[in-house]
Amino acid sequence: MKRNTVVLGAVLLILAIFAWAGWANWEYRQQAAEKLLANQAKGELVPDTAGGPARYVSPLAGKPAPDFTLEDVKGRKVALSSFKGKAVLLNFWATWCGPCKLETPWLVELRNKYAGQGFEVVGISTEGEDLKPGDKVGWAKDREAVTKFAADMKVPYPMLLGGDSLSQPYGGLDAMPTSFFVNKNGVVVAAQMGLTSEAEIEANIKKALGE
Amino acid sequence: MKRRIGFMAALALLFAGIAQAQFIGNGGPQQALGRTQAVEYLFPEQVSVPAGKPTRVLLHFRVAPGLHINSHTPREEFLIPTVFSIPEGKGVRLEAASYPAGTDIALPVDPKTRLNVYTGEFVIEARIVAEPGNHLVEAKLRFQACDQRECMPPKTIPVAIDVAGK
Repeated sequence: MKRNTVVLGAVLLILAIFAWAGWANWEYRQQAAEKLLANQAKGELVPDTAGGPARYVSPLAGKPAPDFTLEDVKGRKVALSSFKGKAVLLNFWATWCGPCKLETPWLVELRNKYAGQGFEVVGISTEGEDLKPGDKVGWAKDREAVTKFAADMKVPYPMLLGGDSLSQPYGGLDAMPTSFFVNKNGVVVAAQMGLTSEAEIEANIKKALGE
Repeated sequence: MKRRIGFMAALALLFAGIAQAQFIGNGGPQQALGRTQAVEYLFPEQVSVPAGKPTRVLLHFRVAPGLHINSHTPREEFLIPTVFSIPEGKGVRLEAASYPAGTDIALPVDPKTRLNVYTGEFVIEARIVAEPGNHLVEAKLRFQACDQRECMPPKTIPVAIDVAGK
């Protein structure tokens, strides 16, 4: 009888431990799920239900583009808010990014085509180098590389430095090129990640212009 | 009898709770496609070398399918090369690193431009000199990866190797 009680007690103890482990596991999963939800504020690639390439879904779609102030290659401060009333294509790119260089001539051509309708492109160099504010040598190299590229490509629009500082408000900037199309009211109407086509970029420009 | 029924009921409740806890989480938010780890260090995790003598160690890495990284000698100046390094002062010094030749590719989106890249598995030969004793070395591999349409920012991954200098 006493032995049965001991055995029963041991079994109940083991079951209680399992129950606690299950509860702890459930708590952990709840927290992981909440964390994942919080991280959904980052842009993600989602499978295309029609079987095409994965689409970039930005958490900024339909929302005001976060304002920022960065320096251009001549050291002048440029704020996004200074383009108020214009449709803007914010193009995050990098000097080491081959696809970025392929799409730049398209951006130049489309900018020239639609500038008269109140459209501008803003190129934002995003080198991923985590340059510290005091790293004068690093920033000088960055500025030199971007200036050279802009000159080679005959870029007529502002080229800004320090895009890495915008990673969090703009959904992570996991790959280059990444572009956001902002309408005249400052709302993001479309976003692209990766090299697409001139036609697709033009379609999004028209969306930003309200056509 | 009542005791047994009560006992069985308590057991059933406990099991139900445990079972339910295991399945919760499948109803949570689905994770969208994200970025895979572009480069993985494979092996060796441990090496034993003669202390004080330069010794050749072969380090195996793998690039994720669908991606490529620039070789150590990319064809364009603006491209970021793959570089292996060992921090100083850890008891192990990197005397020299030899990199594989890389493969020339051209992307469909830009057939005129040839890139020299690593894909799949590649091996870096490192000549190291170890002081006597055991050293956990956190070496580094810096690289920059792209697929056919987009490029990821340059990244540095740790390469952990247990080096025994004997």
